[in-house]
Amino acid sequence: MNFKFSMLVAFIAIMAFSSCKDHTKNTLKIDGSTTVLPPVSASAEAYKSKKPELNIVLNAGGSGVGVNLLGSGKIDIGMTSRDITAEEKKQFPNCDFQVHTIGKDAVVPVISSEIYDSGVQALTLQQISDIYSGKVQNWKDLGGPDKEILCIDKEKSRGTRHVFMEVVMGNKKADAPGADLVLGSNNEEQTAITQSDAAIGMLSLAWLNAEVKGLSIIIEGDTIAPSLENLINGSFPISRSLDLLTNGNPQGEVKDFINFLLSSDGQKMVEEAGYVKVKNL
Amino acid sequence: MLKLKTFSGPFFVWSATAISGLVIFTILAVLAVTSWPSIAETGWGFFSNIWNPSDGKYGILPMIYGTFAVTLIALTIAVPMGLFTGIYLSEIVKPSVRIYLKTALEILAGIPSIIYGLIGVSFLAPFISDNLELQTGRTLLTAGILLGVMVLPTLITLVDDALRNVPNRYREAARGLGLYRYEITLFTVIPLAKNSLTSAVLLALGRAFGETMAVMLVIGSIDRLPSPIYNLLVPGQTITSKLGREMAESVFGSIHFSAMVFIGFILLITVLLITYLTGKFSKKIIIHE
Repeated sequence: MNFKFSMLVAFIAIMAFSSCKDHTKNTLKIDGSTTVLPPVSASAEAYKSKKPELNIVLNAGGSGVGVNLLGSGKIDIGMTSRDITAEEKKQFPNCDFQVHTIGKDAVVPVISSEIYDSGVQALTLQQISDIYSGKVQNWKDLGGPDKEILCIDKEKSRGTRHVFMEVVMGNKKADAPGADLVLGSNNEEQTAITQSDAAIGMLSLAWLNAEVKGLSIIIEGDTIAPSLENLINGSFPISRSLDLLTNGNPQGEVKDFINFLLSSDGQKMVEEAGYVKVKNL
Repeated sequence: MLKLKTFSGPFFVWSATAISGLVIFTILAVLAVTSWPSIAETGWGFFSNIWNPSDGKYGILPMIYGTFAVTLIALTIAVPMGLFTGIYLSEIVKPSVRIYLKTALEILAGIPSIIYGLIGVSFLAPFISDNLELQTGRTLLTAGILLGVMVLPTLITLVDDALRNVPNRYREAARGLGLYRYEITLFTVIPLAKNSLTSAVLLALGRAFGETMAVMLVIGSIDRLPSPIYNLLVPGQTITSKLGREMAESVFGSIHFSAMVFIGFILLITVLLITYLTGKFSKKIIIHE
């Protein structure tokens, strides 16, 4: 009994002590786009090894979450892979959103490797739009095998969706009546497309792999492949900038961290994550 | 009855009761007040099946349907299995084996729901799409099966407890009359435990209603009523998966946020109703003395 009691006291003391220690640390809270996450998380790790006294809390709930949390003052840096909408600005009149672009990315219509290998490797924007609006429901109408299309949509506030819908359907908040699934992060979408043999979805350029193939887009007879080269020269139609958001001009740790991402070390991580660095723009 | 003679005793009892009551009342009040703007704005529009916040459309029928459909599937699986396993545990198995089975069940009940969700996404969903030749394995049925497995340990434990609460002298008396063992269980023990068995099922129902994480990962999250309406092999949405996916995306104070709170309010009312019914049934278990 006595032993247990002293253990309890020791435990409480340790807890109290450790929480004290945490409070003396500077904490940098970051949340937002899963697209921007990879370079930011790599940078956060590198940056922390330089400044061990700094505590970085990194989450990724999507661009919309990043804007909301920054607007309501719950985080220091928001990550977004789309522009802030007028409504979002109106909802947070007290927040002075400052945008810091750290890289550039393309949103690529992606399909299961089975469909890609069967010959569907390029579509026009109109054809993709027809899939999402439900007018085309079978791959055979697009030159593929006789399989129903599994059309994967994203949650409405996701940055990838805004950019994709803006170009494909002409309205970033367009409804997608042809959709069969609604998923969230890039990871989740990648998994679902890998698991299916007849899926189409939208992913950031950095998330393509052997199972998840990027479609080329046909514009006025030209076939434009989803490659870094076409992103850099601006010919790939669905592109966007990867941004960090702050409330007002960044100060102190926030400023240092953003400068680190814009330094040659940070920009190298943007490239390693599969995106294009700012200085190439 | 024990009398609490000091002042502190009654004080603690009363204040604890008051605080618990206050917490529940506050939650209900906050939910009601916060969901009012969307009720005022949308009105009967809630009873449609199109959800698109950017158009100001908040139809909640797909989520209500999904919640009930998934729960129904879960109970269809869990109730028979739970009853039979509970009967086996309580009436048939040897005490030496029983200990191991009970321990295994407790471990099963303690597995976090996200683990079930991951198993669902990586094994159950592909299994269902391969075997039923579906476009996708993320369906109402998948979520229902997963949920059924999840509530099973809780249900078995409750059924086992309910049956063991029936005093042994009833079994002995029945045996004395020359009844077979299946007759004792079927015609003596189960009728005596009927009310606690009903409340066990209702508790499992409550758990199935509120489960979020696992369901969210396997249900497909699309706000659409299946066509035809009884087709459970298509993706859908439950109230909890909707809240899990969209809560953080809605801006605090907007109509969208208020509508999200409203569906949460509906969920809470439903669960409260179930809890009330559970209480009503379990109150009648004074038969034994």
